[in-house]
Amino acid sequence: MAVAALPTAEMTARKTPLAASRARAIRRFKLSLLLPLIALFLLVLTPVLLLQLYFSFHQWTVYLSTWWDAEYVGFDLFDSVLTDPRFGWAALRSLAFAASSTIGCFVFGFILAYLMYKPFRGQSLYYIIFILPMLTVPVVVAYTAEMMLYRNGPINDAISQLLNVDFQASWLTNPHLALTTAALLEIWNWTPFSFIIMLAGLTSIPKEPIEAAEILGASKWRIFWEVQVPLLRPVILLALVLRFLEAMAEFPKTWALFQGGPGSATETLPVYIFMTTWQYFEISKGAAMSYIVMMLMIAIVLIAIHLLRRERRALDAMYQWRDKGEAVEV
Amino acid sequence: MAMTKSQRRRLTKTIRYAVLTVWAIIAAFPIYWMVATSFKPDNQWFSWPPVYFPDPPTLDNYRNVWLGAQQYAVTQYAISSQKPLASLWNSTVIATTSTFLSVLFGSILAYGVSRYRILSEARMFQLLMLRMIPPIVVVAPLSLYYSAIGLLDSRTGLIIVYFLTTLPYAVWMTKSFIDEVPREVEQAAEILGASRWRTVFEIVLPLIRSGLVATFLFILILTWSEYLLALILTKTQVTTLPIELSKYQGSTEGRVYGRQAALAVGITIPLMVVGLIIRKHLARGFSFGMVRR
Repeated sequence: MAVAALPTAEMTARKTPLAASRARAIRRFKLSLLLPLIALFLLVLTPVLLLQLYFSFHQWTVYLSTWWDAEYVGFDLFDSVLTDPRFGWAALRSLAFAASSTIGCFVFGFILAYLMYKPFRGQSLYYIIFILPMLTVPVVVAYTAEMMLYRNGPINDAISQLLNVDFQASWLTNPHLALTTAALLEIWNWTPFSFIIMLAGLTSIPKEPIEAAEILGASKWRIFWEVQVPLLRPVILLALVLRFLEAMAEFPKTWALFQGGPGSATETLPVYIFMTTWQYFEISKGAAMSYIVMMLMIAIVLIAIHLLRRERRALDAMYQWRDKGEAVEV
Repeated sequence: MAMTKSQRRRLTKTIRYAVLTVWAIIAAFPIYWMVATSFKPDNQWFSWPPVYFPDPPTLDNYRNVWLGAQQYAVTQYAISSQKPLASLWNSTVIATTSTFLSVLFGSILAYGVSRYRILSEARMFQLLMLRMIPPIVVVAPLSLYYSAIGLLDSRTGLIIVYFLTTLPYAVWMTKSFIDEVPREVEQAAEILGASRWRTVFEIVLPLIRSGLVATFLFILILTWSEYLLALILTKTQVTTLPIELSKYQGSTEGRVYGRQAALAVGITIPLMVVGLIIRKHLARGFSFGMVRR
């Protein structure tokens, strides 16, 4: 991190009474800065995690008596979740949904950013239009999609007229298509995310290496693959990792539009947990499932954090290098 | 085939505009459709062939949804349980309060991290878990806990969870602004005898106020549109606008698209205004301050 300590912090090393009281004051100040965070962890997060752990090991449904005398069942609940084929399918669907929409967002976002990072007439207008999908509420996206994707709806009609064929996809009711529809919606909704990140990356990578390559007579293609992409690696990873994590948690669109259906075609992990807990009222099974998913996500997030930490150092170095040179105003 | 340089440049330019325009249409069309539908009379909501331009445009949907006006035409599509203005008020209070708290405590924490290293880099990244672990995995015990301490179906309850889930964004984003402030000013303040808290509130935070505004508006986008937590942690007393909108789905008539669209437009407009104001800061926000321009 590019942070040097305040001189005040260095002075604490000397052991004069004045310095000692100063060190105490600083320690107290640091603690008071942290206090709200500690309070929140103790008052909200800890009880919630403990409750979840409790329910994962105690069989309880709302029809039974009060929750604190639910029966202890050991690892039975985890067993029943892990042997539940529906859970496995939901996990696969989640991964497929997250991976495909992440790649889709990234490809479109990168292409658009690449076409737009140099100034041209109309740039800011395109920029504004491109970020609009990100600025719609996810539930609104779901219901607008419903208004447009029914069989005789405007999307099928527009495609039919453009291609001059009779195009009648059942986007919402065909079980083979529904998850794809959900992923396409996610791509529509969040391509702006990848777009703005890649645009910010493209505009801030140093110009000198590119100019040098141009002088040496490299083609645009080679400059792209051998200069820009390597320089952009931190930004690319960031765009992929953050989007993937958000897509794994996606709930509003898949739920509001499909409720897991048709059949169980769009039953991703969040949807399945939601249904288990709030429709079948199997609180305990839901808790065990949540626990497994939480562990899975923590594993994924730890990998993500490892990647992000590495790339952030590279990014910080790049910005420092840039800011020391001439200021590049975009 | 040899092309002259100017020909090639013109070709590149044409391709660029073509691709960008196609995507602009893809991006804008659903939003256009939502707005257009909100102005359509009820026989054009899902007619065949689809009606691309409302004819004649009508304000009935808006009147009916937002004013709950039974006296305006087409009352058979009015849903009695709708309280859009109450939801608007709830959404406004919940989103602004939680966002304010998030930015306030987030920036104080960020100051501590930037200047006193109260959290190590590893801890800072662990903080991201508050955002990156899907909230669905803790929401069931949370709702039980809330019902035990009387926060279920209350504004305070939602404000607290929104505060928690947006805190990582607030800390990271404000830290990226604080890191850009030179330390000399704070050192001068210290020499002049300002207390540490005064330095934070009267020197550092005012210096990054445009960054604080950007952070505030950015987090407002997240809290305004949140759906899952609001769906589970509120029942009848407190509904936010996204939940209000989802009520139309369960309505007996079904397919009240015009009404739905009129409500959706109302929910989306504030978000778009806010988003366009901070459009230069969106990349920094979404990337936790890691990507700057």
